Amino acid sequence: MEFLIISTLNGVTYGLLLFMVSAGLTLIFGMMGVLNFAHASFYMLGAYIAYTVTTTINFWLGLLIAPILVGLLGIFVERNLLRRVHAYGHAHELLLTFGLAFIFEELIKLFYGDFPVNYSMPDYLRFPAFTIFGTDYPFYRVFIGLVAVGMFVTLYLLLSRTRAGLVVRAAERLPTMAESLGHNVPLVFMGVFGTGAAFAGLAGAVAGAFFPTNPNMAIELGVIVFVVVVVGGLGSLEGSLVASLLIGLFSSFAVGLDWSLAGLLSWVGLGDWARSVGGLFTLTLSSISGTVPFLLMLIVLLVRPAGLMGERN
Amino acid sequence: MLARTALIAALLIVLIVVPPFLGIGWQNALTNMLIASLFAMAFNLLIGQAGLLSFGHAAFFGVGAFATLHLMGAIEDRVVSFPTPLLPLAGAAAGFVIGAFAGYFATMRSGVYFALVTLAIAELLHSLAPHWDGLFGGEAGLSSMRMPWAGLTFGSPLQVYYLALGWAVLSILLLWAYTRTPFGRLTLALRDNEQRVRFIGYNAHTTKVIIFSISAMFSGIAGALLAISNETANYSLFSTHVSAQVVLHTFVGGSTVFLGPAVGASIFTLFAFYISEVTRTWLLYQGLIFVLVMLYAPQGIGGLVQTHIQHWSKISWPELGRAYALAAVVAACFAAAVVFLVESFAIIFSPEYAAARGRLDGTWPPFKLFGVEWEVFSPVTWMIPIGLLAVGLLLLPSARRMLRETWDQILERAEAARTAKSEIQLAGAMER
Repeated sequence: MEFLIISTLNGVTYGLLLFMVSAGLTLIFGMMGVLNFAHASFYMLGAYIAYTVTTTINFWLGLLIAPILVGLLGIFVERNLLRRVHAYGHAHELLLTFGLAFIFEELIKLFYGDFPVNYSMPDYLRFPAFTIFGTDYPFYRVFIGLVAVGMFVTLYLLLSRTRAGLVVRAAERLPTMAESLGHNVPLVFMGVFGTGAAFAGLAGAVAGAFFPTNPNMAIELGVIVFVVVVVGGLGSLEGSLVASLLIGLFSSFAVGLDWSLAGLLSWVGLGDWARSVGGLFTLTLSSISGTVPFLLMLIVLLVRPAGLMGERN
Repeated sequence: MLARTALIAALLIVLIVVPPFLGIGWQNALTNMLIASLFAMAFNLLIGQAGLLSFGHAAFFGVGAFATLHLMGAIEDRVVSFPTPLLPLAGAAAGFVIGAFAGYFATMRSGVYFALVTLAIAELLHSLAPHWDGLFGGEAGLSSMRMPWAGLTFGSPLQVYYLALGWAVLSILLLWAYTRTPFGRLTLALRDNEQRVRFIGYNAHTTKVIIFSISAMFSGIAGALLAISNETANYSLFSTHVSAQVVLHTFVGGSTVFLGPAVGASIFTLFAFYISEVTRTWLLYQGLIFVLVMLYAPQGIGGLVQTHIQHWSKISWPELGRAYALAAVVAACFAAAVVFLVESFAIIFSPEYAAARGRLDGTWPPFKLFGVEWEVFSPVTWMIPIGLLAVGLLLLPSARRMLRETWDQILERAEAARTAKSEIQLAGAMER
C-alpha cells in the first residue's frame, strides 16, 4: 500500500513535469509541423538561467526571468532561423533544430562545465508537505505538480476562452484561411513558438532545483518527451497530458518492482528453467526502468500507430 | 565520368600508398575516418535515397560492434575458428537482423514519427545495455583480442587500416551498385512519391523494411570495423552522440551526392583528430558549422561542388574568384572572432581558471591564448574580436551582393544556353 501511494504520487509529479515540456512541443508541432529538437534544450537553458539568477539574486526572480529569456530565445530561433529554412521542407527544419540543440549543449558545457551545477531550492521550501506511512513527502514535488497544473489550466483557458486562442486554433487548423481573413499567421506562429519555449524554460527552472541540473538533462528528458508526444499523438494537447501521466506512472512503478520474466514464467512452472538460462529472463524491471517508456511506445505504435489521441494521417 | 573515375582511382592509390609512411596516430585516425565514412554512407542510403531520416543509427553500429566482439571472443577461446579478415560479416549479419526487426516498427510511420522511433530504439538499447551483462558486458562492456590468421598477425595499426580500407571500399562499391539495381530505383521512387509506388502494386512497408535492413547491415560492418580496431566496446556506442555524429557528417558532406557523406565524415574525423588536442570546444564548432551549412548551403559540401561542376563552362572565374575572395575575407573575420571569443570563454570559465583565481584571492589573472597573455578586463583583449566582427559586418553586404550577382549571371547564362538549344531542336523538327 505504501509503495502504491508513494509511487503514484511520484509518478504523477514526474508525469506533470513531462507534460510541462511536451505541451509546448506538441503545440508547436500541431501548428507548424516542425518537430523542435531543441525543445528540451529550452528546458535545460531554463534551469541554467534560473541557477545563475538564483546564485546572484534570488530563487523566485529566477523562476520569472528564466521563462522570459528562454521565450525570447525561442522567438529569435523561429523568426531568424527556422523561417529561413522553411522553404527546404520539414526535414531541414528538424535538422536545423537538431543542430541548435547540439550548440546549446556545447555552450552550456563551455560556460558551466561538464558536471552538474549546484542548483537547489531555497531552504524554506525544504519541508514535508505531509507525512505518509512514516515518511515525509517533500513539498517541492507537490510544488512542481502545482506549477504544471497551473500551466495546463492557463494554457487551456487561453486557447479555449480568449480571442487570441481562437486565432491560434484557427491558424493551426487552416493557416491559409486564417491568413486570408486578415490574421497575421506568421506572428501567431512566432508567439506559439515563444510561448512553448517559455513553458519549457519554466519547467526547467522549477524542476532543475529538484532534479540534477547538468548538460545531459536536455537529451535525457528530450528523448522521453519525444516518446510522450508519440504515445499521446503528435499535436494533441490532451493526448500529451495523458501520455505524460502514463509514462510518469509507469516509470515510477517500474523503479520499485523487481519483477522479471523468470518470475512471470514461474507461474507456469518454467521459473527454474528461465533462471538457468539467465540473460533477458532474469533482468528485473527495476534495473531496466529507463527502458520502459520506449517499450510502451513500441507497443502503442503497434496497436494504435497514430498515438492515443492523435488523428490518423 | 572519366574524370570522376580517374579522381576516385587516384584517391584510392593515395589511401593505399601513403599510410605506411605516416605515424601510428595518423594511421589510427585514417582507420576512424574510413569507419565514419562507411557509417555515413550506410546512413545516407536511408535519408539520401529513401528519404527516411534516422536519428538512431548508433543502434546498428553498436550491434555490429558487439556481435563482432562476441565472435572474436569465441575465436580467442578456440570455440570456433573463423578467418579474422571476415569478422565484419558478423557485424553485417547482426546489423541486418536487428535492422529488420527495428525497421519493421520504425517504417510503420514515415516523416517525423520515423525519426522519433529510430531515436527511441537506439535509446532503448542504450538504457538496456548496461544492465545486460551476458550480451553487452554490463557497464564495462566487452573486450577481446584480434587473433592472427594465415600468417597475418593484425598486431599493427597499419594492418587494421588495410582491413578497414578493404571493407570500406567493398561496401561503398556495393552501395553504389545498389543504386544501379531496379530495387535501387524503387528506393528513389519511394522517396519521391510513396503513394504512387503503392499504387503500382509494390508493398511499400516491406520495401522500406528491406532498405532499412540493408542500411543497418552496412552500419553493422562499420561498427564491426570499430570493434576490430579498438578490440573493445561498451554501451556508450548506443548513445545519441554517435547517432548525432553520423547525421552531422552526412549533411555537412551533402546527402544528395553519392560520396558526399564520406567527404563530410572524412573532413570531420580528420579535423577532429588534428584539432581536438588543441581545443576542447571542437564539438561546439562542429555544431556551428552544421547549422551554418543548414542555413546557407542546404545541399552540403558535395552539393556545392556539384553545382560548380554543373555550371563549369558558364562560370567566369575571374569574377567569381573576386566574389569568393571577398566572401573568404568576411568568413575569416567572423571565424577568427568566434574562435577567439569561444577559446577565451573556455579558459575563463574553466575549473582550472577558477582554481587559479582562488589561489590569487579572487583577482582575475591574465589568460594565455595563441601564445599571448591577455588581461581579462582590458579593453584591448576584447577590441580584437569586436574589431574583427565589425570588419566582417562592414564587408558582409557587399560580399553577399557580389556573390548573388555573380551567381545570378551564371544561372542566367545557363538558362539562356538551355533555351537556345531547345530552340535549335525545335527548328530542326519544323524543317522535317
